[in-house]
Amino acid sequence: MLFTTDKQTLDDLNIFGRHGGDSVYNIFNRTTTRGGAMLLEEMFLYPLSDEQSINRRIGIIRTFAGAGTLFPFKSMLFDAAEPYLDNTDERTKLSTEAVSITKKLSNMIAVDVQTVVIYKGVAALVELLKGAHDFIKGVDGGEHYRADKEAISLLLSDPAFAPVLQEDSKGKLSHAAAAEYDVLFRFRHRDSIRRLLRYIYLLDVYLTVGKVAVERKYSFPLALPGDRHLLTIEGVFHPQVKNAVPNSLQITPDSNLIFLTGANMAGKSTFMKSLSIALFLAQMGFPVPAARMEFSVLDGIYTTINLPDNLGMGASHFYAEVLRVKKMAQELSQGKNLFIVFDELFRGTNVKDAYEATIAITSAFAQKRNSLFVISTHIIEAGDVLKERWSNISFQYLPTRMNGNTPVYTYTLETGITADRHGMIIITNEGILELLKRGKLEMLERDKAQIHKLKAV
Amino acid sequence: MSFIADKQTLEDLNLLGKYRPNSIFGLFNQTKTHGGGRLLEGMFQEPLTDPDRINARRKTFQYFQDKRLKFPFSTDAIGLMENYISMGARSHFFLTAAGILQKKLLSTFVRDERYGMIYSGLLATIQTLHALRSFIRQLESEGDSPYQERVRALKDFFADRRLDWLSAAARTESLPILQVAKYDHLLKHTFSKEMEGVMEAIYELDLYIAVTDVARSRNFSYALALPKGRNLFKAIDLRHPGLDKAVGNPLSLHGDSNVVFLTGANMAGKSTFMKSFGISLYLGHMGFPVAAKKMEFSVRDGLYSSINVPDNLSLGLSHFYAEVLRVKTVAEEVSSGKDLVVIFDELFKGTNVKDAYDATLAVTEAFSEYRNCFFIISTHIIEVGDALRQRRDNLQFSYLPTIMEGTIPRYPYRLEEGITNDRHGMMIIANEKILEIILS
Repeated sequence: MLFTTDKQTLDDLNIFGRHGGDSVYNIFNRTTTRGGAMLLEEMFLYPLSDEQSINRRIGIIRTFAGAGTLFPFKSMLFDAAEPYLDNTDERTKLSTEAVSITKKLSNMIAVDVQTVVIYKGVAALVELLKGAHDFIKGVDGGEHYRADKEAISLLLSDPAFAPVLQEDSKGKLSHAAAAEYDVLFRFRHRDSIRRLLRYIYLLDVYLTVGKVAVERKYSFPLALPGDRHLLTIEGVFHPQVKNAVPNSLQITPDSNLIFLTGANMAGKSTFMKSLSIALFLAQMGFPVPAARMEFSVLDGIYTTINLPDNLGMGASHFYAEVLRVKKMAQELSQGKNLFIVFDELFRGTNVKDAYEATIAITSAFAQKRNSLFVISTHIIEAGDVLKERWSNISFQYLPTRMNGNTPVYTYTLETGITADRHGMIIITNEGILELLKRGKLEMLERDKAQIHKLKAV
Repeated sequence: MSFIADKQTLEDLNLLGKYRPNSIFGLFNQTKTHGGGRLLEGMFQEPLTDPDRINARRKTFQYFQDKRLKFPFSTDAIGLMENYISMGARSHFFLTAAGILQKKLLSTFVRDERYGMIYSGLLATIQTLHALRSFIRQLESEGDSPYQERVRALKDFFADRRLDWLSAAARTESLPILQVAKYDHLLKHTFSKEMEGVMEAIYELDLYIAVTDVARSRNFSYALALPKGRNLFKAIDLRHPGLDKAVGNPLSLHGDSNVVFLTGANMAGKSTFMKSFGISLYLGHMGFPVAAKKMEFSVRDGLYSSINVPDNLSLGLSHFYAEVLRVKTVAEEVSSGKDLVVIFDELFKGTNVKDAYDATLAVTEAFSEYRNCFFIISTHIIEVGDALRQRRDNLQFSYLPTIMEGTIPRYPYRLEEGITNDRHGMMIIANEKILEIILS
């Protein structure tokens, strides 16, 4: 089954973000080659769906990160090779025949631009092939990279490439050799060259991601079979929050629904985003912002954190939420193992509807033991009812400590339902009721004064 | 002092905004001239607070509505005329004549376009003036409203002997150049002040006719403004002006019954009713026609609503906190002793049930002490209503009912007295069959 997610989730987690923004993709988007950047994007668009390929990719990245391997090619080479390979016009082939005197003369005065591109492309590919050959010989890469390594060796061992690999690296290519390789690279063995480049781009991604993991102190997760429905994560933090506070969490089939409460600024959304981003990256076979992580492979991740509510009417936001829940329900009913996050479920309606709906929907979710849920709400009353009904709901909260009248947030998960109710405290702090009382008194005084004056007159 | 309505209120009621769909301004914006549109905008931006001025403007509108007049000018001619008058004039007749002669020559020899512009502008102006003269003959000029003063001034202007040529010129096909120079000088120099008045009069006529056309076609009526001290609001068949098949409701507020506690399901029409009230009050303060059969109101200092308070997550404000701040703003205004109208729709939904109950009760109770202000407060927490009923006697309890036909709700949109417990959150979920889908 393919891994599924949707635009709402990608937006919530800021996976791609707006152009040039502070997105998760941009954390890793530091590849040397443009081909590598494209592959990286592909990996973000299509996370993996089976445990072997996830563990394999994690293994490769971990090995390279551990060895501190550097990318052995200059990006200039790819800038020359790519446009060259894209040109498949037969007429631009370098001719092997003796060059006429007029052409030689005109070349001395002003070189034909197209020919220069081709010359440079051939030279770049010669260097790339030789570089790849040397790299494969020298690098270990561990067991997970072995398949890639063998594939590259096989490509390079084609007898057609033998003269290329023996080319003297210092000397300039002779015209005859260039013309010969041109035919080889662009026409006869074009596919092999393309495949080789893809391996090189992949290598670029692995090395870059490994470097990011080391720099940012990410760890390498372990993927478990999907039917175990487990998640153990220690020290997970939000990759884009400075001085983020790490949290730990364990989800098993006996506690597969997290009911999260906490005051508004206590960090509920941030925690849910951290967890979802970690799971998303893990599902891609990437290092995660956490100290340690083990997870059962999922069939999909769906979050509902910032549901757009620019629909004008009050009823519509609630309806948008209902439709969103319905979509989740349809996905769940197909028996998928999902990770589902709802932030402030049913905040678009009145508290009483929200209370009833939260209990009903959460109860239904709780019966889906093969998926993981995180549901946050401000309706703490719903939690008490759910606690009585279901044993597999894990109640977590983010506490608020009152320091006199100012709230202090620890951002560290605790077990239970918070009794923090700040509604009235906030209203009291803002002094609304006093304001109204005082105003009324002043008005009465003024009236009294007026009556006195009138009486005096 | 001008009537207060802040940005949040204007947005809640969708009052202003030329380019916003279904705005109330857009509803009335049927003016044919730019100047008329500008006048309309000005009126929308500054509702009045003086009952006499409001009633004077209302009477003018009423007068035009009864007269059923048509805008007598072509918009093209008005455009040409605006252009022509703004061209400016020379101080002496000979300079004007010389300038026109020069342009005429240039236009003959080098196809200069300026003479053509002057000529067509002058012709358009003459046509318009002619039409205006015959138009104002049918208008009443006795009285002291600003519009009647305007009509008197225009009648005086047209009575001037120096304009006797007007009807003859309006009928001719072409004007000789000497006459062009003469009229040009007369209209742009001698009568420059009066011509400004003429333009303004045209814009005003445009506005009056446009607004009353809307009022007539939509069956609006005019509200009577009363002095502040009367402290009352009374309307029969109050509707939302933007809705075609709006259902009307009566509403009566006064010092002894100044708070409406409104309940009803989500789609039952609570917001629409509250908006109808807010919009009618605003239009009433403008002297504009209102969507009601009959309405009278004591002039207020301002209007505050809290219907769609946006949360400002970029500022780190939660929905609840945004609402608290909104209530605080209103509390500051109310406690400063102003006579206000306050609309709160479904307060405190971004918090837990207990807090929402406590907060709604405390805030409603505190506000209701201000008998000089009118409040409409809607909520789903009916327990607040029961508590308030025992503690205060100046609340009226209304609800918008829902009639269930099987599992399909029908909304009559007619206010009834009392408190209702109707809610449909769970029904919507049930209708979407979500629980069944999850558990299938």
